[in-house]
Formats: sequence, structure tokens, C-alpha cells
Amino acid sequence: MWVYEKKLEYPVRVDTCNPALAQMILEQFGGADGELAAALRYLTQRYYMPIGEAKAILTDIGTEELAHWEMIATLAWKLVKDAPVTKIKGTPFEAHFADHGRNPFPHNAAGNPFSATYFNAKSDPIADMHENMAAEEKARATYEHLIQLSDDPGVTDTLRFLRQREVVHFQRFGETLELLKEHKERKPFY
Amino acid sequence: MNKKRCIGYELATAYIPFQHYTVSFPPMEALRKGTLFPELYKPYQLGKGIR
Amino acid sequence: MDNKRRNMLEEIQAVGFVLIELNLYLDTHPNDERALREFNTYSQQLKRLRTQYEAQYGPLLNSGLSPSQFPWKWINEPWPWDM
Repeated sequence: MWVYEKKLEYPVRVDTCNPALAQMILEQFGGADGELAAALRYLTQRYYMPIGEAKAILTDIGTEELAHWEMIATLAWKLVKDAPVTKIKGTPFEAHFADHGRNPFPHNAAGNPFSATYFNAKSDPIADMHENMAAEEKARATYEHLIQLSDDPGVTDTLRFLRQREVVHFQRFGETLELLKEHKERKPFY
Repeated sequence: MNKKRCIGYELATAYIPFQHYTVSFPPMEALRKGTLFPELYKPYQLGKGIR
Repeated sequence: MDNKRRNMLEEIQAVGFVLIELNLYLDTHPNDERALREFNTYSQQLKRLRTQYEAQYGPLLNSGLSPSQFPWKWINEPWPWDM
């Protein structure tokens, strides 16, 4: 089960009202390489893992991704919470507003709703770990695109934090891959 | 460490070296940087790699 | 949110973050004694910081892991996304 901590992992700051940027940030709320896809990918893959280290890293990184998902929502929320409708009209956030108002919703920057097809669990620990390393790299690339798009210093600060987390997670999944390879070699032929 | 890895690398296999933790950033700096570990700190240089 | 509260929370976030990092490191390095010692030390420090914060601003954890004064303080504003 899970415990909720009534705080964010990182002190998120937003300096402007910017509905267009909020819409782009939602890429990481409900997009293919976003934080929700990451959390569900890792938490879903745990069951077939043959070693405790892999179960632990998937549980712990999966949990951290949920904290990142909350940080992304906080960015999107703070960018629009005080926006008058006149400042929303004509921006890419207008279509989101028609359905969801100012509350964030898991879709990508183009408005496609979140889908479980964004990740997989193959009952093949080595294949799954490769997917996870690729996912961290793709999320890092997405954060770099978003940093280029952001003209809000507070938002950029949080995006840089989240991007760096992808680098660390990549390393941990890589080490887990090594442990899984060792485990496979130790196992008798099957 | 298995033998094969000491001799060389196997084809069609991905490898990641293990981190060996020695030094760390102080807590507030670690939070600001997004990692506790100087050897894993790889900040994005805006403008690099952009065509 | 006043500055004092912000600073206390940021200290909790900093120590909490060190623990997240050491936790992930230990998952793939379970035999690193020094990292584990640091983990246990920071864990004690986080507990102290949390208790100080909660005495003034209410529970940080749900599910009975933080006690609450009367009346039930868990519902208190602001929530993390409004801080």
C-alpha cells in the first residue's frame, strides 16, 4: 500500500500565468514518456521480477514517479489557476479548458488522452529493464524540449530537477540490469 | 563479477558500470541539483545540441 | 505561506531527498555499509524535523503515521499544490 506525504518532493515555484506553457507541461502529466506512464510502467512490472533488488528499485522509482506526477500537476495548475478566460482564449490550452476547466487532466501536449499502450510488462526482466532505461532517456529528452519552450524561470528550475532525476533513474535501472544478467547466469539451464 | 565481464564484453548485450559512492553534496545542494551524487550530476546545457 | 514555514518545509524536502537518493542507491548496492549508516542517520534527522513541523502545522503523513491535535488537522489548507 502507499502512504501520502503532504508535501512535494521539490519546492515547485511558478513565476508567471501562462496557459500555453501549461498545455505543453501536460505532456509529462499524460504523455507517452510522462510521469504517469513511468509510475504505472514500473509499478506494473514488479510481479515477475526474480530478485529483490529489482522489486525494490521498481517500487521505489515507481513511487518517486508518482511524486513527480504531482509536481507536474502543480506546475500546470499554478500556470493557469489565476488565468482569466480572456488569457486562455486563443492559446493551446483553450481545448483543455473546454472539457476540464483549469484542473489538470492526463493527456499529452496535443490533447491525446493517456493510454496504457504507452508502456508494457513482458514477464521478461531483461526486456523490461531495457524498456525502462529507454523510458528514462526519452523522458530526459522531453524535459530538454520543455526547458527550451519554457520562459518561466520557476518552471524551468523544476524541469531541470526532474530532468536530472531521469539521469539517476537510468543509472539505477542499468545497475538493476547488471544484477538481472548475473542472476540469469547463476540460474541452472532451463 | 563474472569472468566474461573481466575478459571482455559479450555481443548483443548492454552494459552499465556500477556507481561507487564516495562523496556527496550537502542536503540542500543535493535537492537543488536533483541528485546527491556529484558523479551523476549532468546538467542540461541549453543551446547545446540545438540546431 | 510564511517564510519560517517555507524554510522548515524545505529542510524536510532536502533531508527527505537525500534519503530518496540513498534508498535508490542501496537498492542496487545493499552491501554498502557506509551508505546504509548515512541512511539511518538521515532517517533519524528526518523524524526530528517532521515532528517539529507537525507540532506547528499539522500532520505530514496520513494512515495514522502522524498524530493530529484536535480538531482533525489533516484537512488544513494549504495542500502541496497550493503552497
